[in-house]
Amino acid sequence: MLCYSNLFCVSNFTEEQARNRFQSELEFIQCLANPNYLNFLAQRGYLREKPFVNYLKYLLYWKEPEYAKFLKYPHCLHMLELLQYEHFRKELVNAQCAKFIDEQQLLHWQHYSRKRTRLQQALAEQQQQQQLPHGNATAK
Amino acid sequence: MAVRLSLASTWRAARPSKEMLPHTMTDPPPNRELIEMLALSRSQKLPQGGEDTQILELLVQRDREFQELMRVAQEQGKVHQEMQVLEKEVEKRDCDIQQLQKQLKEAEHILATAVYQAKEKLKSIDKARKGSISSEEIIKYAHRISASNAVCAPLNWVPGDPRRPYPTDLEMRSGMLGHMSNLPTNGVNGHLPGDALAAGRLPDVLTPQYPWQSSDVSVGMLPPHHGNDFGLEPPGHNKENEDDVEAMSTDSSSSSSDSD
Repeated sequence: MLCYSNLFCVSNFTEEQARNRFQSELEFIQCLANPNYLNFLAQRGYLREKPFVNYLKYLLYWKEPEYAKFLKYPHCLHMLELLQYEHFRKELVNAQCAKFIDEQQLLHWQHYSRKRTRLQQALAEQQQQQQLPHGNATAK
Repeated sequence: MAVRLSLASTWRAARPSKEMLPHTMTDPPPNRELIEMLALSRSQKLPQGGEDTQILELLVQRDREFQELMRVAQEQGKVHQEMQVLEKEVEKRDCDIQQLQKQLKEAEHILATAVYQAKEKLKSIDKARKGSISSEEIIKYAHRISASNAVCAPLNWVPGDPRRPYPTDLEMRSGMLGHMSNLPTNGVNGHLPGDALAAGRLPDVLTPQYPWQSSDVSVGMLPPHHGNDFGLEPPGHNKENEDDVEAMSTDSSSSSSDSD
């Protein structure tokens, strides 16, 4: 704790304020994983403002492992990377675009569980096949 | 008659030799005829003795010169031979040098490749060291994001299920940010109206503070130092981030070593 106070003695933030800032930035960056929220921001013109764009660039520090380990929704990092591009920010104004992103995100989200069920099925089939020769052997 | 004829011929021949005097001084060796003629004139003891002696002296001189030339020519021949031998030596040495040059170039090439590959290896070692994280931490994190279905859909998920890979409308509003600002409830903000109705069923893990806000875990964790003004172009702010992150990393690494 002492080192932190030394580190921030030059700034005008108190420790409390810095902690709050951390908390709010953590929440905000994870909200970026929500395409509907991104569409909301775009339609209200936030994504066109230069300070906001600078803020998005600043938020890239969450990619570092020391910070990333606090993210519960890692999709937000990918969204953050995409948000660095102006083209992406412009496209987000369309509700259709946000809907498309949402659909693809959900499909991707389900991809692993589908893959896992397929693997489990394949494993079950393999075990069944292995049991069959034994069954034949005992029958003989 | 024959003698008179021969006399006449020698006298006539001697005449041209007189004329040839200046020529013999400069010309190449005197011809056989002149010598024969002189021999004849000598044997016949003609009154032109004085001129004969002159010619003879010239001949002798010429002979001496020729002897000298021959000697010089011989010496030059020897020198030329030596030169040839030396040239061969020089050629041989040149070949040797070229051979050595080729070998040196090859060796340099091999060494340069080796050094380059070693440098690349060192770079990758450095990179790996920088990005090294304890496997326990990775497993913990993987468990965290998987168990909460943040990256992998629950196996019993069907369309209509309110769970999502991102914080939903409800979660966003119940967080610190949601409480800070009074956001009007809006169908656009967050789920579509249909899902919002379905979200009337609260998820099982509903707590006043969602795990994605993780304030308890992040005790002592602070964001990088940055001014409040994002309106300006931040020229050196990346550096600031790096400094702070470094400070954080030393601290976090020490804490991870404690946990190990």
